[in-house]
Amino acid sequence: MLSRALRGLRLQLGTQLLSTATVALALLCLAGALLALENAGAWTRRWGAPVRVTVFLTEGADQAATESLRGALAALPEVEEARFVSSAEAREALGRTGTGDRTIAEAPVELFPASIELRLVPSAVSADRVAAVAARVRRLPMVAEVETYRGFTERLSGMLSGGRAAMGVIAFGVMLCVLAVVSNTVRMSLQARMREIEVMRLVGASPSYVRGPFLLEGAMLGALGAAAAIVVLGALFFTLRAHFEASFGALLGMHPEFLSWGVLALLLSGGAGLGALGSGVALRRGLAQA
Amino acid sequence: MKVFRQGQPVLRGVDLTIERGEFVFVTGPSGAGKSTLLKLVYRADTVDDGRILFCGRDIARLSDDSIPHLRRNIGVVFQDFRLVPYWSVFENVAVALEVLGLPSKIVRSRVALALERVGLEGRGDDPVRVLSGGEQQRVAIARAIVNEPAIVLADEPTGNLDPVLALDILGLFEEIHEGGTTVIFATHDRTLLEVTPRRLIVLDDGRAIEARAGLTELSHALAHEGSANDHARAHDDVSGPLRIPGYDDLDEEDALALFGPHAGR
Repeated sequence: MLSRALRGLRLQLGTQLLSTATVALALLCLAGALLALENAGAWTRRWGAPVRVTVFLTEGADQAATESLRGALAALPEVEEARFVSSAEAREALGRTGTGDRTIAEAPVELFPASIELRLVPSAVSADRVAAVAARVRRLPMVAEVETYRGFTERLSGMLSGGRAAMGVIAFGVMLCVLAVVSNTVRMSLQARMREIEVMRLVGASPSYVRGPFLLEGAMLGALGAAAAIVVLGALFFTLRAHFEASFGALLGMHPEFLSWGVLALLLSGGAGLGALGSGVALRRGLAQA
Repeated sequence: MKVFRQGQPVLRGVDLTIERGEFVFVTGPSGAGKSTLLKLVYRADTVDDGRILFCGRDIARLSDDSIPHLRRNIGVVFQDFRLVPYWSVFENVAVALEVLGLPSKIVRSRVALALERVGLEGRGDDPVRVLSGGEQQRVAIARAIVNEPAIVLADEPTGNLDPVLALDILGLFEEIHEGGTTVIFATHDRTLLEVTPRRLIVLDDGRAIEARAGLTELSHALAHEGSANDHARAHDDVSGPLRIPGYDDLDEEDALALFGPHAGR
């Protein structure tokens, strides 16, 4: 069956190459979107993990009670370090991040609430757990506010969800495109090989014997298209990453990664499956007319 | 009975019995139904009414799944050769064995044997499109006989060939027949009918007239009975089955091999 399918591919090499290129282009869009989404996901996981919490204290909080609270928070398993920051230290720290004018340094110290800065054990605590602890701490009388810095990462997660939805739309479009391309290619192949089909039926070929090579041809076309898309995307990705590796590191705080082996296998098998499906659609109509 | 247009039967009241190992000519003017008769036998077409018995089973009522099994036991040769032009001689012949799933070693040896029988030994690698008409027809004959079918149907196989080549091709069918294969040879070429005194079936106006020993007997028969149409009308009330017997002694296992497990009765 493989040899007959390969013979079919060779017979209309130009058409098959054109179809493979079209399938590759469609799958390149899908693979590119997947690549962007995978890296955005990794970046969100990297920066979205809760690593820092600030517990702002009420004005005039008792020093002994504050130290007691700091000790209790430091004893939590998720907390790596709990450090008291006085109002003066807060003013000084904020002044250092400014442009050098004296406005902050000369501002009244009461404007800067004292706080307990918590550094969490990386990847040892979930966002839900942090939110729960923050809610409990917020209820303590000497606590004015608890900042978990989740706003930005939540917005990022929202964008990622939107990206996933867009990916679904792209995947559907690509699926239709691949089905149409493979279906039309196999239909042309069927037309060109009508005599072959007629002869096979004449000598007693079963329907599956006749259909087999065309299904395989469609699957090979889809798989070749997917492989070409992966090669092109890989070449683009690794070239760009080699040129901009330092910039990516500084900007994103991480190095972008290429698609995982699992996703690559999924793309290949998906391309082959779509190709076989497109071929099946063409065969349903084409063989009935033969 | 086979009707293509409402009220205009192509074949009607045809009652034929063809014995195993017979060589039968089917003749008649264009449109008489020669090709239709053959198509009914290899189930490229179905009867509207009546029966065609092969190995005791009615071909007309075979399920779709059984048709490939039937065709593996029937070799068909056409006027236009029906070869795949982009295949080699070997590939065109081997396809009849490949559909059976035979190992490639056996396919190669049996194709070589078939090509030798039709005088094309050593030509397996040639593309068929470069062959002459006579050679292409030999390839088609090799394809028809390579799996040693019970019957070979020839639908005007010499129609595209000059008279000398036509006689050569007829000679090939004679040799095939001598090997014990049943041959049904449709032609309107009188020369071929005169060369070989064989049983003759004349189709005219959808009816069949028979002569056991070829054209001479047919001429005598027609002279005695007035005209072919009169003779045909005498058979109007006959609408029995087209039987291809001689296979009725086959047991269930043989029948299974011929028609597959989904054969209708």
